[in-house]
Amino acid sequence: MTAVEMTLTPTTDLPSVRRRSGARHLKSILLGVVLPVSLGAAWELAVHLGWSDGRLVPPPSVIFTTLWELARTGELWMHTKATVLRVVAGFALGVVAGTLVGAIAGYSSLSRRVLDPTLQALRSIPSVAWVPLFILWFGIFEASKVALIAVGVFFPVYLGVMGAILGVDRKIVEVGRAFRLSGPALVRRILLPAVLPSYVVSLRSGLGLGWMFVVAAELLGASEGLGFLLIDGQQLGKPAQIVAAIVAFAVIGKATDWLIEVATAPFLRWQDAYGQQAGDA
Amino acid sequence: MLVLDHVAKTYPNGVNALERFSAEINPGEIVAIIGGSGCGKSTLLRAIAGLDRASGGAITLDGDRIVAPHEKIGIIFQEPRLLPWLNVADNVGFGLADLPRKEREERVAIALSRVGLADKAGVWPRELSGGQAQRVAIARALVPRPEVLLLDEPFSALDAFTRRDLQDHLLDLWADTRPTLILVTHDVDEAVVLADRILVMRPRPGRLFEEIPVYLARPRDRASPLFETLKRRVLTALDRSLDRSVPDRDGKSIVGEGMWW
Repeated sequence: MTAVEMTLTPTTDLPSVRRRSGARHLKSILLGVVLPVSLGAAWELAVHLGWSDGRLVPPPSVIFTTLWELARTGELWMHTKATVLRVVAGFALGVVAGTLVGAIAGYSSLSRRVLDPTLQALRSIPSVAWVPLFILWFGIFEASKVALIAVGVFFPVYLGVMGAILGVDRKIVEVGRAFRLSGPALVRRILLPAVLPSYVVSLRSGLGLGWMFVVAAELLGASEGLGFLLIDGQQLGKPAQIVAAIVAFAVIGKATDWLIEVATAPFLRWQDAYGQQAGDA
Repeated sequence: MLVLDHVAKTYPNGVNALERFSAEINPGEIVAIIGGSGCGKSTLLRAIAGLDRASGGAITLDGDRIVAPHEKIGIIFQEPRLLPWLNVADNVGFGLADLPRKEREERVAIALSRVGLADKAGVWPRELSGGQAQRVAIARALVPRPEVLLLDEPFSALDAFTRRDLQDHLLDLWADTRPTLILVTHDVDEAVVLADRILVMRPRPGRLFEEIPVYLARPRDRASPLFETLKRRVLTALDRSLDRSVPDRDGKSIVGEGMWW
């Protein structure tokens, strides 16, 4: 066997490994589902037996009926679309700005010393404090909401990128230099892969904040969106609609987070090796 | 030929790490640099690697002045410094990015089987043991076929058994293409096993103290009397290098020089 052939021979029986971890994965999902499902079932039963009228805290069946009604009339889709579009636009703006500014601040210590104190001061302002100003600046429609979300996304991404660049192991960078990499090649082959794991984490926390801020923006005045469903449910005394909107937020929020995770997983497989080993032990 | 001509390094904070170090190192020669801490041996190696610039003197390889990392010079650090996001094969092939994929893969496969890790090609660095990781680092440094390979205490973090194993292995690999090896070490055994010539440095400021040629045939028997004698000679030189009353070989820093005259 030549050396080339040897490298092509798989060293472990991958499918069986994957199957085993798949079964474990399923088991952990099931374990996580036990608590909410049994709580829901208990409440359903309690309302069914007449222990509570379930008016202020609607049981799961009523929530699902409400959700189904909203979906059937197309309202759910309309509100979801409005909210998702806002989050997407705000997230995109926040990520681009956060990445650029974070990269500049991480790369050059002069610009860090100029930028960072101001940005840290701005970061400590509670998000909702911006709303009146943004409404004056951008009007009461989409622009002010997107701006608020973008602000929310910007800070975790900025901090994540800057911290990641500062945290890159100098010794690894030296390996790149020893192989005569510099400028763009050094960035592409050493810095980018080195910062990617913390970048993904900051994207995910940025997205989480984006979802938080879209609710804030929609609560403060919107004619459509899942946040509007919340307010509408409160004003018309429809708790089931509120919970339905909350459920929708949870599902979509989790789904978008999962999207980031899945999209970046191929680039972070090298990190899994550790997690899997830790899980085996 | 690698020529070190009065190489000096003074750090911006005023520390004089290396002073007028001169040596000529022939192609294919194995040179060990040994000395107490602060003798500037790592500083010297980093200057030859082009990672830090010397503040005085000149380093030339076949007439090329070294001021930045050079394609004919490779380096192995004390730690493996593998890139954690690349698997073993891609780490070894890191310096071959300019080659067509097929040739790169062939050379990586050959290098990996040469260091006995052909079966680890697809494995992530964090799954390797310390000795395996350092083998990968050796393969990575050798695969671009450098004319000069610098080693900065490459085996000092390994256990005694693995260290011996890798020392023998390094000689094996060296015999393939016979690059110049310059090895910084604080292990006298290692210096005598590997080197054709041992340069003993003395600290504060770092400078050359004594040059000890090693006329022993390879493979060297670590238990032979001659080996012991050489070890003792190196140890004596090290002791004397740390004794401040012993003058430098070139006599320039002899305080009482006038007495002889």
